[in-house]
Amino acid sequence: MKKICFLFAVVITLSLLTACGSREADSTPPASKAPEKPRIALVMKSLANEFFLTMEEGARGHQAAHADQYELFADGIKDELDVNRQIQLVEQMMDRRVNAIVIAPADSKALVQVCHRALDAGIVVINIDNKFDDAVLEERGIKIPFVGPDNRKGARLAGDYLMTKLQPGDPVAIVQGVPSAFNAIQRLEGFQDAIKAGLLNVVASQVGDWEMAKANRVMSAMITERPDIKAVLCANDSMALGAVAALRSAGKLEQVLVVGFDNISAAQELVRKGELLATVDQHADQLAVFGIEAALHLIQTGAAPEDRETPVDLVTAESLK
Amino acid sequence: MQERYLLRSLLDYLGLALVLAFLIALFGFTTEYFFSWTTFRTIANQIPDAVILATGMTLVLIIAGIDLSVGSVLALGGAVLGLALVRWQVPLPVAILLCLATGLLCGALNGALVVRWQLPAFIVTLGMLEAARGGAYLATGSKTQYIGMGIEWLNRGGVMGLSFPFVCAMLVVVAGQFILAYTPFGRSLYAVGGNEEAARLSGIPVGRVKIIVYTICGGLASLAAVFHCARLTAADPNAGIGYELQAIAAVVIGGTSLMGGRGKVVNTLFGVVIIAVLESGLVQIGAQEPVKRLVTGGIIVVAVIIDYYRGKL
Repeated sequence: MKKICFLFAVVITLSLLTACGSREADSTPPASKAPEKPRIALVMKSLANEFFLTMEEGARGHQAAHADQYELFADGIKDELDVNRQIQLVEQMMDRRVNAIVIAPADSKALVQVCHRALDAGIVVINIDNKFDDAVLEERGIKIPFVGPDNRKGARLAGDYLMTKLQPGDPVAIVQGVPSAFNAIQRLEGFQDAIKAGLLNVVASQVGDWEMAKANRVMSAMITERPDIKAVLCANDSMALGAVAALRSAGKLEQVLVVGFDNISAAQELVRKGELLATVDQHADQLAVFGIEAALHLIQTGAAPEDRETPVDLVTAESLK
Repeated sequence: MQERYLLRSLLDYLGLALVLAFLIALFGFTTEYFFSWTTFRTIANQIPDAVILATGMTLVLIIAGIDLSVGSVLALGGAVLGLALVRWQVPLPVAILLCLATGLLCGALNGALVVRWQLPAFIVTLGMLEAARGGAYLATGSKTQYIGMGIEWLNRGGVMGLSFPFVCAMLVVVAGQFILAYTPFGRSLYAVGGNEEAARLSGIPVGRVKIIVYTICGGLASLAAVFHCARLTAADPNAGIGYELQAIAAVVIGGTSLMGGRGKVVNTLFGVVIIAVLESGLVQIGAQEPVKRLVTGGIIVVAVIIDYYRGKL
């Protein structure tokens, strides 16, 4: 008798728990109404990073404005590094019978395999944010169009602006993103281009894995080791926020200039206050939209997939006024 | 007595199967395409590494131990595999053997430390969690080591689209359950977990049993690493972060007691599948990440509550 009660308890608790999930099903319109509408999946990286939330909001806004043209399924992983989970998401989107997948891959090589399978299943794949590795695409003989900004150009913009505030020979530090990611490499190269042009001296270059807490620890260590650092170039704003916090607790914020990348709202706030010198806006809210438009174009016309560059702009205290 | 035991284990399976059936029905009715062969195939091909890790974890929990290092050992094993294939250019079977040896070694070290110095397994394996992760970063230079098509074929589909890793994972479950139920070694695990002192007095070599169990767990973590790498076509030094907790969650949902002395590998398989179905279903429903985590977390807590009260029945 007790066991039967226990079984009931399990079933009831489960149904209560899943009820909150199933309610969301109402918000997605049943496809049976308009089966001919293309279904587009947006697969992002860490939704804990505001950059991707902004991207998602932009995409949802665009979908709401063009509800008659396509359906949108947006999802992301909980942690930037969980490559396996993102592969699972792509597979689950394939199970949902989408016509196109717009993806910001967590790894520029490891995600190619599953996207290849999607292509084989006749799904249009558009690459945004972090570009797939060319060598790996070539090895497989496939082409996945990249729609996005030139990260190197963006990083160079921020770096060049920083140079106008420094003297040649000043010691600077770099906080990098995940080293295997293409956009991390691009941003690093952009920073290095600017540093070389400004004849600065890189005294430390550490990996912050795109994340605030890690960048905070890395920055604390760097500033202890080299208290004379004049500026820090961070490959994204989350890490810039972490670096600013570390500098503040070390009492060095007055002396060190920080630049970030991505223009998230918390970073904008700091730029206004003057605690962050500059950041780069690559129009995150539009990135996914550019990708979705490219996907729709390919579905409708069946044209050959082609890369497309999207704009990047520098954000400073002046430009925010 | 025998009949009662049978009835009891049947009820165990029945409860988990009912939960699973309920989840499948729920997602089947609320989404368009969940109830389809492709969905089940996708789930089946996603779980091998989780199943293998959780099988090892089941054995460890049965002897009232814990292994927090499995995720890191998976990353380290993968790193060795990647290194062997890409840098040293050895043939795949040799690379796999090296990977398995790494895992067995880590597991044996865990076991030896726990037994030799009577240290809490929680602390020892927490140390291994950090150390093996550090080793994985060192071996790969903190970068994802791309392996390529050389390893991808391992992941190819076989019978009815079910992959080779899935078949292996099922074999691991069957072997695990067989050892637990039908060998003296397997039964000694329950004795050690139930009452270590009594097991010792009745002549069971408790220390040796413990070392073997931790070694198996480490070895299974590296087997999972092989399949993980085949899925990613790369060795990722960040692979498996948090997998130890997922494995423990699956084992606990399957009704294995954290206090030791009770548990079944087959029930653990149910635990893994329930979590996988839940995750896949929530994605198809279109639930957002926070909701997914809330629900998954809730399920784990509920399972532990049930586990606790069932122990008192």
